[in-house]
Amino acid sequence: MAASTTPMKAAGHAGAHDDAHAPTETYAERLRLNRLGMWLFFISEAFLFGALLAARFYLWGDTRPDLDQVVGLIVTSVLLLSSASMYIADTAAEHGQWRVFSVAAWITMILGLVFLFGVMIFEWGLFPSIYKAHLTPWDSKYGAVVFAMTGMHAFHVITGIALIFIMWNLARKRRFTPERHWGVEASAIYWHYVDVVWIFFYPALYLIGSVVHLTGH
Amino acid sequence: MGHYRTGILIVLVLAVLTVVEFYIALVTHSVVFLMLIAALKAGLVIWFFMHVKRLWAAEGGH
Repeated sequence: MAASTTPMKAAGHAGAHDDAHAPTETYAERLRLNRLGMWLFFISEAFLFGALLAARFYLWGDTRPDLDQVVGLIVTSVLLLSSASMYIADTAAEHGQWRVFSVAAWITMILGLVFLFGVMIFEWGLFPSIYKAHLTPWDSKYGAVVFAMTGMHAFHVITGIALIFIMWNLARKRRFTPERHWGVEASAIYWHYVDVVWIFFYPALYLIGSVVHLTGH
Repeated sequence: MGHYRTGILIVLVLAVLTVVEFYIALVTHSVVFLMLIAALKAGLVIWFFMHVKRLWAAEGGH
């Protein structure tokens, strides 16, 4: 992209700008395209998560399984706090406060892991010695939908944590500046998107509908 | 600290809205009401945290 736009700009604005301005304009153009691509990706992802929400309302209707409300509220709060720390990391990068950025990025990763393990332990029951969950993916429509929704969301949490770690490592190597830090911005808005998805999943899984007590579990 | 003020304020609003939706769910099972609150929360995150307005920012800066 950079190679194709620079000559075009040089031809179009010959004499109007000096050469020192050309790289900045190229970066600005690339940044706009990067943002557009990222948001198109978010829109495509919305269809995936929207389909999962549609499956929930089609299969469950006005009912829901007896999920632990305290767990739901805690993991939701943890993800909300991680969005706050990610915002701080993004803003710190904008202002060149790299120490604040580093601390905030690590807090975000740790909170992301807390959310992930919260779901794995208390909703999926992956560690029965710690907590015995009552849903399985194959027993009923309730377990199937819970595992499909939280599983797909957890996959995005894992990739988000990986992205933030890569972002932090690149920042450690001084690859970003307050003027040029698309990697930080992209990781941040991806993480916030994961939060936006959970904003809709939380009421759909935990709050909407009458509780159905499943027998035989 | 001033740079982070907006973000902290939005997080507090999101926290309050989360508590509100939790208590609304205890009183009523209204899908519409709960989804409206979720849409409001999502809107705040998209506008203030995801900086959606930068998509049409002419200067293309951060």
